[in-house]
Amino acid sequence: MRHRRHRREAGVVRGAVALDKLAVLVTGFAVTFAAVALLSPRLLASGSVVRHQLAAATSFSGTPPAQLPSALDIQRVVPLSDPTGATRWAPVLRATTARSRPTVRSATVGPLPARTPDGTTNIVVADGEATARGTQWVHVRLALLPNDTQGWVPRNALGGWSFVETRLVISRARLTATLFRAGHVIFRAPVGVGARGTPTPAGTFYVRDRLTGFTNPMYGPLAFGTNARSPTLTDWPGGGVVGIHGTDQPNLIPGRISHGCVRLTNTSIVRLGKLMPIGTPVVIQ
Amino acid sequence: MLSRDIQALAFADFDIDGAVRDTCASMQGHTRSTFLRRTVAAGVTALGGVAVWPSAASAAEARSDVAILNFALALEYLQASFYTEAERIGALHGALKQQADVVGAHERAHVKAFRELLGSKAIKEPRFNFHGVTESPDTFRSTAVAFEDLAVAAYKGQAPLIKSRSYLAGAIAIHSVEARHAAWIRRLAGFLPAPKAFDEPLDAHRVVEIVNSTHFVTLRDPQTSSRTRPRFTG
Repeated sequence: MRHRRHRREAGVVRGAVALDKLAVLVTGFAVTFAAVALLSPRLLASGSVVRHQLAAATSFSGTPPAQLPSALDIQRVVPLSDPTGATRWAPVLRATTARSRPTVRSATVGPLPARTPDGTTNIVVADGEATARGTQWVHVRLALLPNDTQGWVPRNALGGWSFVETRLVISRARLTATLFRAGHVIFRAPVGVGARGTPTPAGTFYVRDRLTGFTNPMYGPLAFGTNARSPTLTDWPGGGVVGIHGTDQPNLIPGRISHGCVRLTNTSIVRLGKLMPIGTPVVIQ
Repeated sequence: MLSRDIQALAFADFDIDGAVRDTCASMQGHTRSTFLRRTVAAGVTALGGVAVWPSAASAAEARSDVAILNFALALEYLQASFYTEAERIGALHGALKQQADVVGAHERAHVKAFRELLGSKAIKEPRFNFHGVTESPDTFRSTAVAFEDLAVAAYKGQAPLIKSRSYLAGAIAIHSVEARHAAWIRRLAGFLPAPKAFDEPLDAHRVVEIVNSTHFVTLRDPQTSSRTRPRFTG
């Protein structure tokens, strides 16, 4: 759900001219600029030359003169592929407190640290914003139990937005991981998920960090951290963060064999690592 | 120095309607960026010209044009990111949304054109933090006015310094479009689309000062990767 201020354009535009008049104004500006740019200072001193050039610029109807070729290819606009399909995330610049409503007097939901348990920069995925008493707030997903906890944090505690068009779907029933980009499947692989006593939690989460170069073969060559937390292993070091990683037991995949993490074969996790950016939403069904 | 005829413009001379000043006043406590300043320095010291530079031209002239093109690219990065972010967040509606969508597509086209022309000489896109100005119509509108007026003045300041005529043709083609953008957003903000009979140029160093005063450019990437051993549940 989005929380935004909506203000009528009509209340902001003061003394605005009609759109057609604006077009005349802008066109007039452009013609004037083009004419002036073509004239040297000496020619500018001659009012008759200026009038002649302007008249030529506005009344031309014959074959256009040979144009100076531009070195820039500026003929094509570049629209966004899917303006509304992207997910936005921002780094946490300073630790703060998430609240139930966009006001400092509302109930505390929980802390938002600037670092993850892995020591990387913490990030948040946002889905709404609001302004209250001149302060901007952002509605974000948190790495707190119960999973899917959300809250409001001050905008100035966060850095700049980044956008991703990817989405990872983990099916606990089919034991598959499927990565979508702009709605198209670009990756699919079998996975291992949590065993009965240590289930992989369902919900919508996101990729927080990416760990490589470590020596523990249990996680394979690459591990993604998420904001999902194990509902059962709450005293696990780091708080029981659910990861997506490789394995040294590929023969167990697919299966319900993990402590809550999503395990892929090492070949699959390396391939996923080339396709899935930080901030990617992770939907566990 | 990129511009040889540095204008002694005061901040208020450029910021006719106070849009930049208002935007800056709403932000505080952020690290001052030096991206654009570095861009100017890097461009000036770049060796050699780009591929399409005429063979008869001197290396010095080629370096100068590369610097100017990279400076323009930096401004286009800034504008394109600003509009793209506004478009993706979706806080704009009606005429303002239409302006952002159209102008954003133009600014991305400008970025694409400069990058293709500069090739390996093109500066990399920095990270931006617009500090929430893309998240409400009011702050977006005032910032867009400031950006477009700035772009018009910046192109005007650099155009006379471009040595290659084909580069100049491209720059002027963009300059007039930036002027249309400025008129469009000024009208939406309730300002006169064309307040003066003659526009003043702005030299590169003054442009850098103004952009840096907004703290929109950030040089530090978030550290989201590490070689730490995972502590996930496994």
